[in-house]
Amino acid sequence: MKSIHKFIIALSISAGASITSCQKLDIAPTNIFTPQIILGTEAGVNSMLATIYRALPIEDFKYRPDGGEDNNGIPHPGFNPLNPWMNFYHSGAVTGELVGPFGGMDIGGGFGYWPYANIRNVNILITELPKYAAQLTQPKVDALLGEAHFLRAYFYFALAKRYGGIPIIATVQDPGAPLSELQVHRDKEEATWDFIGAELDLGYQMMPDVNPAGRANKYVAAALKSRAMLYAGCIAKYGSVNYVDGEAKSLGYVGIPADKAQGYFTKAYDAAKLLEGHYSLYEKNADKVQNYVDLFLKSDSPENIFIKQYSIATNTAHSWDATMSPRYMTANALSRAYPTLELIQRWGTLPITNTDGTPKRFDNRADLMQGLEPRLLATVYFPGATLRGLTFDAQRGIYPSFSGTAASEVAKQPNSRSYVLAGDTKTLYQGKMVIGFTGLTTAADDAVSRTGFYVRKYIDYAKSTSEADLYKSQQPWIDMRYAEVLLNRAEADVELGNVGDALTCINQIRNRAGASQLGNVTIDDVRNERCKELAFENHYYWDLKRWRIADVVLNNARFKGLMPYYVFNENKYIFLAEPELFQRNYNFDKKFYYEPIPGGELGKNPNLYPNNPNY
Amino acid sequence: MKKLIGRVLLGISILASAACTKIDNYELPDASLEGNLVSSEGGNLLTSQGSTQIRLEQISWSATPSPQEIPSKFDGTFKDTKLFKGTYKVIPKGGAFWPIYDTARVEIGKGTKHDFVVTPYLLIKNFTATLAGTTLTLKYDIEAPIGAGLPTILETQPFINTTKLVGTGASIRDFSDVYKVSINKEWSDMTSADKSITIEVPDMLPGRKFFVRAGVRLNDSFKSYNFSDIIEINVPST
Repeated sequence: MKSIHKFIIALSISAGASITSCQKLDIAPTNIFTPQIILGTEAGVNSMLATIYRALPIEDFKYRPDGGEDNNGIPHPGFNPLNPWMNFYHSGAVTGELVGPFGGMDIGGGFGYWPYANIRNVNILITELPKYAAQLTQPKVDALLGEAHFLRAYFYFALAKRYGGIPIIATVQDPGAPLSELQVHRDKEEATWDFIGAELDLGYQMMPDVNPAGRANKYVAAALKSRAMLYAGCIAKYGSVNYVDGEAKSLGYVGIPADKAQGYFTKAYDAAKLLEGHYSLYEKNADKVQNYVDLFLKSDSPENIFIKQYSIATNTAHSWDATMSPRYMTANALSRAYPTLELIQRWGTLPITNTDGTPKRFDNRADLMQGLEPRLLATVYFPGATLRGLTFDAQRGIYPSFSGTAASEVAKQPNSRSYVLAGDTKTLYQGKMVIGFTGLTTAADDAVSRTGFYVRKYIDYAKSTSEADLYKSQQPWIDMRYAEVLLNRAEADVELGNVGDALTCINQIRNRAGASQLGNVTIDDVRNERCKELAFENHYYWDLKRWRIADVVLNNARFKGLMPYYVFNENKYIFLAEPELFQRNYNFDKKFYYEPIPGGELGKNPNLYPNNPNY
Repeated sequence: MKKLIGRVLLGISILASAACTKIDNYELPDASLEGNLVSSEGGNLLTSQGSTQIRLEQISWSATPSPQEIPSKFDGTFKDTKLFKGTYKVIPKGGAFWPIYDTARVEIGKGTKHDFVVTPYLLIKNFTATLAGTTLTLKYDIEAPIGAGLPTILETQPFINTTKLVGTGASIRDFSDVYKVSINKEWSDMTSADKSITIEVPDMLPGRKFFVRAGVRLNDSFKSYNFSDIIEINVPST
């Protein structure tokens, strides 16, 4: 009897449980954003886009080409969402645009950039957005899809220029799929560049003409295409001559057949041409120096195609002002990267030597700047220039008296030269400061210039000294501007033999720069113009690579500075071209034309083998 | 209280019995590989710092192993005594010799020896270094065992150091890199005068001993150098 009782109780409990449970639990979680919430409204899509834009590999003020550490000691983020202050870790500082904190070619092996998580986000957008045409309207969906294709191309461009051919993943992979499907093979380099071109074509076709600042429009896609196709054309043309042999090369994972070069150059030209009439060079100030300075600081520039913005309020402000000028002129921190004489000599030899070989005497350091091209003066702070009411007083030392030629003086051993040098600004020679507050010291200290020069591009001269502080700079990074598009077009022109059109483009740029008009252009002229116009904008490293001349330019290279000296008995200044103070060597291994596929990824996916040659 | 102590001891003994039961029973990497890079033209291939390496891939471990490299010594020998036993793909690379494409498969165990025969791009012959006062004159001729298809000859330079370890990355810049002579010619375009080189290095320091060799650089994948042998020079004190 008791057992029946027990049985009834058990039965009723289980029956009760099975009837009342599992009824209303099958509802969408209310605390998780579902695809409907994100993709069904424009605000939701914008929030997703913001995440993707933030991860976009824009090589801006904060980009650390060696990876480096972020503020929390996490190594190798490269593109720095966590905002390091050391903006002087600049790619120009391994290539001789600048000399800086790098000990040599420290960035050739890359930092393992592998943004497939971000690409997956874009793939989700591209797959899912068409399902929300009812909520978002079809034109809106198309515009957003165009933007997504542009963003995907941007990520793949950053991969292709580093690794050559990489796996093209254009679908949203299912994590539960068999391993063999998830371990995607590398695509050939040619296929990768073609994919980037096709994505940018979609971006151009689907996006509108205008856009909020910081987001893409159709012309941004065209501008990036002109850049990307120029890279591909150069890799085909020059990479088939100067290359590293290896399995990845013979299988086409790196390298493009030479006969494809013309096609890519044509695409680069066509894409650049699309921007004509929609953007123009910044020419609002008749003072050519001030105009060129303002081009990087004024938000109303018709030259800006694609920018990245920063704000103190959201803790995204950068530190360019504080870390590219000497502490003497800023509120905090220090500078460590300085323009080389080699960069300045792209504008021609400076008039520092008389015809008889003796150094020219100047009453004042600033007199050297007379007659130089406005763009040069707006790109680099020369000795004698001023910022925030202070003078760049760089001085290497004092000669009690000076005789002989510049060449013979520089060739002497240091101990047989009759100059007076110093390691700090307190040292005086007959009451005169031996070195300046902005360099050039004998102390092993790179917080003041090693070359006599400082970067001027992007420096906000309107800031007071106290505002020139860490995380206080909000001037946007101009990732694409019309001058680059003109240079892309001119370079493609020359490669295709359209010298006339190239000349028109180059002369537009030279006119704005305050330079004389050219009558003819060669490929060397176009390249030199590019190096001058785009100095410090993180182009030169990639340009040297795609022209396949990095191993020639950086063959145990050492760079020079311009050393100002005061000649005491004459009360004059002279300038001598001498090795930069640290005398570092820069050497580019041919294997660095491609970075190695990151080791961790090779471990996860054996189909990424063979690795790039010589790794 | 006694109960508590007993429980604590019991806990400790349980933890102690569970801990450290695994011993690292892997064998030490005690296999070794050594050998010579034998030049097809006689003797060993002369190398320098950062030039020729022996690349090993342990295929008995993984189909796609991470490569490891043994740098060759200056006399063209190489040796690594801390390798794991197994089957390796082995290939010399990075030096100024005609590339070898078919990798050798070597069973590496204790005391494994393996020599490679390589054909150098160039030979530096009749290398002399003579002093006149403090000026050192280097003379040498370059020859190519195989002329056709040779990479562009880029440059030649002396390497001078105060130790026997002299070569790329181990030389005094002011005596070495400064006296680099640019060639930039294909082998077929080089005249016999181009192939007979004289370099003068002035202002050697009196009373010092130097080690001198010459190198010729080619524009192959590694921009590698063929080296001469090393000559010892004693500059007399004045």
